[in-house]
Amino acid sequence: MLKRRIIPKFLLRDGRLVKYTRFFDHEREAGNPVSTARVYNDYGADEFIILDIAPSEESRRKVLASIAEISAQVFMPLTVGGGVRSLAHITDLLRAGADKVTLNTQAVRAPDFVKQAAQAFGDQCITVSIDYKEVSPKVFRVFVDGGRERTAYDPTEWARRMQDQSCGEILITSIDRDGTSSGYDVDMVARLNEALDIPLVVSGGCGGLQHCIDAFSAGASAVAISSLFLFTDHSPIKLRSHLVSNGINVRASKSSRN
Amino acid sequence: MSTTVAIIDYGRGNVRSVANALEYCGADTIVTADPRAIDDASHIVLPGVGAFGDAMAALQSRGLPEILHRQVFDKRKPFLGICLGMQLLADRGLEHGEHAGLGWIKGEVVRLEPGADALKIPHMGWNDVVVKSVHPLFAGVRPEALTFYFVHSYHFRAGQSDTVLATCDYGGPFTAAVAKDNMVATQFHPEKSQDSGIELLENFVKWNP
Repeated sequence: MLKRRIIPKFLLRDGRLVKYTRFFDHEREAGNPVSTARVYNDYGADEFIILDIAPSEESRRKVLASIAEISAQVFMPLTVGGGVRSLAHITDLLRAGADKVTLNTQAVRAPDFVKQAAQAFGDQCITVSIDYKEVSPKVFRVFVDGGRERTAYDPTEWARRMQDQSCGEILITSIDRDGTSSGYDVDMVARLNEALDIPLVVSGGCGGLQHCIDAFSAGASAVAISSLFLFTDHSPIKLRSHLVSNGINVRASKSSRN
Repeated sequence: MSTTVAIIDYGRGNVRSVANALEYCGADTIVTADPRAIDDASHIVLPGVGAFGDAMAALQSRGLPEILHRQVFDKRKPFLGICLGMQLLADRGLEHGEHAGLGWIKGEVVRLEPGADALKIPHMGWNDVVVKSVHPLFAGVRPEALTFYFVHSYHFRAGQSDTVLATCDYGGPFTAAVAKDNMVATQFHPEKSQDSGIELLENFVKWNP
């Protein structure tokens, strides 16, 4: 049976890992991306997501160099994104060793770009990343440009549209919950799981093992985790054994050799 | 004799990670579509992601079907297909219309069905594999390590059951690996399957059929 996935997700700014609360507050330094990827590979994380949040030329070069270094040492799927605006940029990321590329702002600016990218590189290669916020009670809107710009789109409606554009996977991030450790937005997970035929990765708010169980129970294919791993003593190993003992179908352990 | 693996470059997919993983296993690699470089290699890997028809067209525009045929059937070099590189071995693919495949292993490539369980497509993530017969590719891999990373929306429906080396279950069994003579191929990505995948690639590099 297909396993639910545990995915460490990291933000990169000028070559360093960083972590915020609700996208902008309380910047914390979180280390070197290559050594961190190696650690999570050893912990048996199922995949790895890296998003560049300072999409300058300089930062882009550093990300490409990091991806090349990570993919030479770590043999798990790598999803990379942040500031991706062109097919040429996707090609650069894939050549460096990325397996999947996330599109976010550009998907809103030019929805056809998602379809073009999916046709050029395969559906499975294109993940659409959706950041959203509750703008008034029970009203949710997609935000782009790193959470700075509000759009007119409801996240569920937008996710379906992106599925119709042939992306292979949706990554959703609740800006309200990001970095708060208050738990995933399970209502949104349930709604999207119902609406989508493609896999859903949920991000934003994981602060404890139970939060992952809640997200999987609501239908998430994968959980993306940063704070829980970066700033507590929880690791994918501990999370995995907790999930297994709660009946969630994840890889039992890393298949390490003796 | 040292092992040099030619990883066939036809402008599709993340060939870098396949090269990285094989180098980690101690092989020399060359990512190439050049007939001489392919001829110099001891082993051949056909990777690939993307759509069936598009990939066949990309192989053909580089004259690769004939070049590879000679290496695999006349020189009998060990050959590994990965993901789309496995599907292309079939007679035909039914992704976005009908397209002829290489036709090296009988079968056709059809879409996965979400079925009654409303399974998500692509089949993306780690899943367990059942190995059907003894093969050097899976030599020494412990049963509990037979979990690999998949990402695909189509699957290989084999025309002859004796070519099915391994199966996986996603709304029903489907072909996870095929083998015939000096050819072996996996639907999953060994280069992305951590230690389990590395063990398979080490076995491939040592394989001398």
